[in-house]
Amino acid sequence: MSESRFNPVPSDDKFVRLAGGQLAKFALNAMAGLALVIYLLSVLAGEAGSTTSGNAIDFENNAITIALREEPPQLDANRATDASSNVVLAHVMEGLLGYDIDAQLVPGVAERYEIREDGATFWLREDALWSDGVPVTARDFVFSWKRVLDPETASQYAFILYPIKNAEAINRGEMPVATLGVRAASDRILEVDFERPTPYFDKLVAYLTYFPVREDFYNSTNGRYGADADMLLYNGAYVMTDWVHGSTMRWVKNDKYWNRENKGFLDEIRTAYITQDINAKLNLFKDGQIVDTHLLSPMLPTAMEQRWQIDRSMDGSVFYLEFNHRDDRITRNKNFRRALQLAQDPNELVYKVLKEPSYLPGVSLFPAWLSGVSESFQKEYPPVQHQINVEKAREHLELARQELGIEEFPPLMMLAGDTPIGLLSAEYYQQLFRKHLGLEFRIDVQIFKQRLEKMRQGDFDVVLSGWGPDYNDVLTYGDLFSSWNLQNRGRYSSQDMDALIRIAQSELDPQKRMDAFGEIQHLLYEDVVILPMYERGFSFVVDPRLKDFRRRSVGPEVDYNYAYIEQSSD
Amino acid sequence: MSDLTAASFAPLSDQQPSQVIARPSLSYWQDAWSRLQANRRALVSLYIVIGLLLFTVFGPVVWPVDPAMQDIDQISQPPGTDRTATLVADYEPWFGTSGLPGTGLRLAEKATSQAVRLQWDAVDGASGHRVYRNLFPIGPELSYGIPMAEFLNNDTLYFEDRLDLQPGRFYYVVVALDERGLITDRYQSISVDVERVTTRTEALERGLITESNAVQIGDKITLAWHPLGTDYLGRDLLARLMAGARVSLFIGIGAPFLFVLFGVVYGSAAGFMGGRIDQLMMRFADFVVALPFLLFMILFKIAFGIGPGESGVFPMLVALVVLLWPATARLVRGQILQIREQGYISASELLGASTPYLIMRHMIPNTLGVVLVTVTFAIPSAIFTEAFLSFIGMGVAPPTPSWGSMSNEGIKTMLTTPHELFFPALFISLTVLAFNLLGDGLRDALDARMRNVE
Repeated sequence: MSESRFNPVPSDDKFVRLAGGQLAKFALNAMAGLALVIYLLSVLAGEAGSTTSGNAIDFENNAITIALREEPPQLDANRATDASSNVVLAHVMEGLLGYDIDAQLVPGVAERYEIREDGATFWLREDALWSDGVPVTARDFVFSWKRVLDPETASQYAFILYPIKNAEAINRGEMPVATLGVRAASDRILEVDFERPTPYFDKLVAYLTYFPVREDFYNSTNGRYGADADMLLYNGAYVMTDWVHGSTMRWVKNDKYWNRENKGFLDEIRTAYITQDINAKLNLFKDGQIVDTHLLSPMLPTAMEQRWQIDRSMDGSVFYLEFNHRDDRITRNKNFRRALQLAQDPNELVYKVLKEPSYLPGVSLFPAWLSGVSESFQKEYPPVQHQINVEKAREHLELARQELGIEEFPPLMMLAGDTPIGLLSAEYYQQLFRKHLGLEFRIDVQIFKQRLEKMRQGDFDVVLSGWGPDYNDVLTYGDLFSSWNLQNRGRYSSQDMDALIRIAQSELDPQKRMDAFGEIQHLLYEDVVILPMYERGFSFVVDPRLKDFRRRSVGPEVDYNYAYIEQSSD
Repeated sequence: MSDLTAASFAPLSDQQPSQVIARPSLSYWQDAWSRLQANRRALVSLYIVIGLLLFTVFGPVVWPVDPAMQDIDQISQPPGTDRTATLVADYEPWFGTSGLPGTGLRLAEKATSQAVRLQWDAVDGASGHRVYRNLFPIGPELSYGIPMAEFLNNDTLYFEDRLDLQPGRFYYVVVALDERGLITDRYQSISVDVERVTTRTEALERGLITESNAVQIGDKITLAWHPLGTDYLGRDLLARLMAGARVSLFIGIGAPFLFVLFGVVYGSAAGFMGGRIDQLMMRFADFVVALPFLLFMILFKIAFGIGPGESGVFPMLVALVVLLWPATARLVRGQILQIREQGYISASELLGASTPYLIMRHMIPNTLGVVLVTVTFAIPSAIFTEAFLSFIGMGVAPPTPSWGSMSNEGIKTMLTTPHELFFPALFISLTVLAFNLLGDGLRDALDARMRNVE
């Protein structure tokens, strides 16, 4: 019995070996075959790629295809806050004033205007029409602005209208909406009263919260205004004809637009993709499916290898470490903040860690692109030259320890966004402060909304934060750290700062006003309110056949309003 | 025949040699071990597993580098990079050199990895310049490369590049801008060879030289050695792999051990008691199977008070144990149900064996093979789960590494610096493969029915 079980084993073994050998041969052949097929396919794909150019540019229909970052939650300009809504609305709507191709303020619906100390007057042009052919009137602006400030609308950007008389009180529900300092003197004359002198009001009205809304159309939408393509009236260079939620949009040239000779040269813009995934966008661009995409530093070698013409733009925002100045926080101690300030160097962060060529190392809250009286603001008011000094940093830390009367510092919370750059910076600072100062930081990674919520509640010690400009004036940054600004998440409060911001808000003499900003900049450094990290920029590529495409620092991040397709000459 | 004496009837002595046909008696474990030894794949896997444990436990002793330390001079360096660097003075800001000899685009001083300082004469008819850097020479298609800086007037005719300079050749281009600030096709270019340098302060800080060292500016020194290269923050990859192994293997071995133990107890209790209790217990197991793992992972994280920025390794362990035991329990219950009806159990019972004896002597040893195999297969799946959770950011918090989170970070730069993804991925694959093959071998070795086959 046992013998019969023993004997077959060797032959079994042989069989197994034979089968194994065959299997190995088969696997080898299969792999080789597969590799060949893949190679052939890639060659074919390469051939195909060079003959047909994808859908990015459609010569026949004079149309382009683009990708949007996100699906806009809705397109009600009065309530929009996100970048994607801004991009869409900047193409389909127009305010009293707008920006030309070189980002200079130019007339929009208003053909001329006048700003006085106590108010402003706008004269509307006759030929500005809604997409249904009805003229845009001053009443449309009055209705829109009142709606923004109505507490029931709960517009997050209502504060941008606060220069208008009674606006703040109305928004708080302390006064009736009818008392707002704006009225239509006639169909074509809009009168505005100011709460306080606002010399930069012209820059404000170009912002999307100030866009007009027509009352009768608004009422006909039954509260669904801006929720769909047919739930919105347009007065911009394009009209949106289709909006398949979560998937595509179609913007078509607006043939009722008054300025169609200088704006809106394309017959159609298709937003065929909604994606945040930058690698996916790069592949779409490579395959000729979209006309432009921005690049992160790991993609730059690929872009150079492809011999693309890489361009750059500043997106206008400044990023910084913001401290929590509330009473129960260690970061309220100035020596502690000074220690952190002296232990870091934004140059190292940008040049060695982030490695983004379009980023500028942060030197101040006021970015390099802002203009001062006659030249750039940073040139007229140079920021403090920052030098890393670890020894002095340690001294300040010791002072802070004694002032706070604690044995050692507890772990601190560093709030950061979940973007790759945000995480990278947070990890860099975590180790930097540990190495130089022996401080323990815990990184609290949150998605954008949650990070804002935690900032609002003050649930952080240090937060990696940033601010993008809403309008083209230094004040868009300058009033951030006033004690009354709700965006001052760290609750920094200083009488000197408040006094300077009051001057900056209402001084009419440009020189004195800029001097105040210069002092604000100095105070921000001396009081260590924030630690500037970087000014964000983008490296991007655009299809060489599309001309006059722009990326903006104020207004929409991508602007196709002036773009046109160059008809191939050969 | 006739002279039989009493002496003839003496018993044979005990030590009478006789032919015995037998082989050495082997215990169950000896037998299993010998069969495992015959399985070369399993044996190699076993050595790999032992090696991994040694790597985790003794690795940090042999290679005592802080896994959180950032070597900013050597970011994303693949293994085997040239590490010699020239010592230079500390960085001083530079705003152009007046009266620099030469014309056109030229270097103001020797190009180093600290800074490349370029100076040029205004291009004819330019109302500004833009500086580009390229890895390739400028071709006829005028793809200039990465735009580094833009000057909208002719006041600034110098540029200092400090961005991520690695030793090697770069091509710099200065392109003239027209009055609207748009690029034209007029440019000057230069190729630059960058040399790796480090400053005295940095070298002191990283312990490459000491104060007493007689190293002068201009001397060559060797930067810190990173056998497997560094990651995106200049952290030593080998040290991080060792630290990451601690998390990965703690979860990978701890969790399966605990949930299999619980599963065995639960399953054998259900199987042995049978009837209504068995039904009840198994329906509860079904209920647990239906619970969503990720949701519970998040709930446990909150329940354990793991604040933001703290590593959630312990709740991960608990979640794995609480949610993954039913598979083992079912398997063991099935085995016990089968064994309970075997003839030898009835025989034992008839002979008066007590319940504990039955369980200890007959049931558990007979399920052991199944159980051990479950453990070895559960280990790789737990390592994968940990890797997955850390990959999506639910696991460890920075700077604590784990193989999963390291892969997550490495994948972002997969095309430019593949080693950052390769090594953690290799370790995950190797570990999972080793445990799988070992489990395979153990199943064969421990199967009681395969006994005495050879």
